[in-house]
Amino acid sequence: MKGINEKDIYTFVDAVSAFFFQVTEEKVEIKTAYLLEGDVPSATFDLTSYITLSGDFSGRIYFSAPRSMLTHLLLLMGEQIRDNDRLLDTAGEIANTISGNARRHFGETMEISVPTTQATDPDWLKTVVSPQSYVILVKWKQYRASVVVDIQRTA
Amino acid sequence: MDSNRSVFSKYRKIIFAVILFMVADAIVIGINFYNTFKADESAVSINLSGRQRMMSQRMTKALLTLGVSMEAGDEDGIKTSLKELTLAVRRFDRTLMGFRDGAMVTGGDDNPVYLTQVGTEKSRQFVAETYVIWKPYMEHLKPLLNSDRDSFSDNYLNATKLEDPARLEDAKKRFQAEENFTDEEFRRKLEYIASNPEQFKEELRAAVAFALEKNPTHSEPQNNRAVLKLMNALTTDLEQVASHRAAILRIVLVVGIVFALINFGYTVIISIRDLMAGDRKLSEARQETIEILATVREGLFLLDKNKKIGTQFSESLPDILRREIVPDSDFLPHLEAIAPRNIYEAAVDYIDLLLGDRVKEALVVSLNPLINVPILVTDPRANTQTRYLSFFFNRVLSDDQQISHLLVTVQDVTDKVVLTQQIEQAKNLAKIEVETLLRLASSDFEALQRFIDNVGKSLAQINEKMSAAHDEARDRLHTLNYIMRIMHGIKGEAAVLGIEALESYAHSCEEELVSMREDEQSLSGDQMLRVAVLLEGFYQRHSSLAQIVARLGNALGKTQPSGGMPDGMTAQKHPFADHIAALAQRIAADHGKQVEVSCQFEKFFSLPKATTKELQDISIQLVRNAMTHGIEMPDERTQHNKPSIGALSLWCEYLGHGQYTFTVRDDGCGIVPDRLRKHFVKKNILTAAEADALSDQEIANRIFQPGVSTVEVADQDSGHGIGLDAVLEKVRGMGGYMLVKSRPNQFTEFNIQFSTVL
Repeated sequence: MKGINEKDIYTFVDAVSAFFFQVTEEKVEIKTAYLLEGDVPSATFDLTSYITLSGDFSGRIYFSAPRSMLTHLLLLMGEQIRDNDRLLDTAGEIANTISGNARRHFGETMEISVPTTQATDPDWLKTVVSPQSYVILVKWKQYRASVVVDIQRTA
Repeated sequence: MDSNRSVFSKYRKIIFAVILFMVADAIVIGINFYNTFKADESAVSINLSGRQRMMSQRMTKALLTLGVSMEAGDEDGIKTSLKELTLAVRRFDRTLMGFRDGAMVTGGDDNPVYLTQVGTEKSRQFVAETYVIWKPYMEHLKPLLNSDRDSFSDNYLNATKLEDPARLEDAKKRFQAEENFTDEEFRRKLEYIASNPEQFKEELRAAVAFALEKNPTHSEPQNNRAVLKLMNALTTDLEQVASHRAAILRIVLVVGIVFALINFGYTVIISIRDLMAGDRKLSEARQETIEILATVREGLFLLDKNKKIGTQFSESLPDILRREIVPDSDFLPHLEAIAPRNIYEAAVDYIDLLLGDRVKEALVVSLNPLINVPILVTDPRANTQTRYLSFFFNRVLSDDQQISHLLVTVQDVTDKVVLTQQIEQAKNLAKIEVETLLRLASSDFEALQRFIDNVGKSLAQINEKMSAAHDEARDRLHTLNYIMRIMHGIKGEAAVLGIEALESYAHSCEEELVSMREDEQSLSGDQMLRVAVLLEGFYQRHSSLAQIVARLGNALGKTQPSGGMPDGMTAQKHPFADHIAALAQRIAADHGKQVEVSCQFEKFFSLPKATTKELQDISIQLVRNAMTHGIEMPDERTQHNKPSIGALSLWCEYLGHGQYTFTVRDDGCGIVPDRLRKHFVKKNILTAAEADALSDQEIANRIFQPGVSTVEVADQDSGHGIGLDAVLEKVRGMGGYMLVKSRPNQFTEFNIQFSTVL
């Protein structure tokens, strides 16, 4: 993870926290952080959204959450439709918030793709991220979700 | 001096106008004063000149009434007339002398007054003409007066004005004596009249005749009228002089007032123009200041002697400090809220030093404790993060070179500090490569390879521990303690192998973890992210080291280690003996101590690899403890009648039936319960009552608890309270137990009993 520091990582977690705070006035709490390396939980939940970075950076930022958490969120948002597509859209909106924060923090030299969302198997992240990517396990209400930072500065 | 010049230059025109006004004013006042003084003199002259007219007539009248009284034989009338005549003659005579030469005379109020000499040619001529008549007139009058003497003409009366009241009174008496008959004089005069009536009458007739006869030098038919006319003319002339002076005075006053008005108008115009120009400049300067303060990225403000923030500060200041800043508020509470306690206290001293005038600013710049100060800030969403601020202080001097304020510049140097840390990390990685090369060159490849494997496993253990979600601060504390023990082990191994870059990184991680542990209640998930960042740094270093070892090992034809000596193989010396001795000597050198190390590790060859690894870790920690806590400084050892060089022994023995014993012994100061009690109380680990209530054994057992250290200042080798609890855990992990023996000032011995048979 070259050229990325603690402050940079906070930027992504802050974005998630900001999203939840704005919608529910309840902030997300970091439970722990570790590296996706060896025999550790993959931190992959039911639905995962991610953005891909290029320009002076390369890699991806992932947000993975259980369906129940996103459903609860939609409920609080007053959404009537809470089907799979809507849940994926919500995960995508969170990834979009991460994207906005990242652009503000890193500047225009960071190029960011539109969010991609998908349903994910429990070990999916382990199969797609680089070794020693950061996993930040967060908690909102009784739910757990993860922000996985797999980026490096290339310039 | 420069500032005085600048003030003069700035207000030059106004100062010039004021000086001109004052000079003109002084001239007008001077002229007025002179004229007023002259007016006083003129008033006296006019008054006395008028009196001269009256006196000339009174003396004529007295002559005539004296004649009538003589004819009638009226003694009272004679007396009255003589008195009147003498008064009139003497006053007329002296006043005339005053007009001619200037002299003290009897004034209108019968008090002495100085009469100045007449000033105009005309007046002098009138006086001179009067004298021509008066001199013979006086000669005729003299026999009729109280004595034959002339008027007093001594210098005492003529020369000066009499400002001394005593002399003035004296003069008054003299004038009274001159102008009046004494009883004795009367008596003699009446005797003279009685005895020489015809002669006296003749003298009287002669005087009257002279008064009434025509003087050839004058057009008037009588001397008496001539004198009256001359005195009249004198009075008129004196009045004209006075009138002329009054006219001059009026002109001077008018000119003075006109000039003063012009000057005032000029001053007002200049002042208003300068004030408007000053206001314009001030407004421009204020606007510039506002723009600077609104634009500058640094936090800028002035700190006064009461340590209050000035009324103006840069707009970025509240953002940088992450606090609301009120103008004219105290600075220290802000600093206290964001800076660590020790830095805050040092900063207060430093600010006091700068506000005082005892030391030069340049000499104390290096003492500034507020450089790269880590502060915990909370964002609007209540997330905390560490930022680094630097405060720079510059003295602001007043015109008289006194310290009036401190200019404080605050910079958010987080990016710089982080970059520096990253550069430092990069340097450390480079250092690892160099150290690895050196290690390979010394053919210690196998030990290095084992170290790499061990570190990899340790990091994985840490990561696994961290991956468990932590709901409570207590869980996080437990994890931190676990991580610290492993880090400590890595640090020890790195120290033994001489890989300083990894040792120092492990040490810096250890320090951060200790700092987090200090406030157990506030341990948050955010801090776990910091731990993850530290862990990633460790992975990077480990990865670099592993790659270099593999690459260079291949190049040098080294192979992967087989995992130690084959079972049953014997050797005179286990390589770890040299490593542990080197570690002991390095710590001794760092602490100014001396030590001789003896090791017997031959039995290590017959132990399982995992057990050997654990014993090596235990050895490292116990050697660190022995060198920092046990072995004394050479002087102290000498005082206790011990050799200045300490002795440290480590040996492993086989007791049979799979039973082993491993011992680490030093001949240092031993474990002294009372010393421990005092230390625990001083460090607030125990209260005095708690410490006293515990037995010596219970006190000694405390050294095995996490977070307990007995050194005053932590360094790379000790002080974080991580060591002995890790040793104890390892011994328990081996299924063994540990005995501790010690005597004050003699020795400490850690004896570990374990079995390789399940």
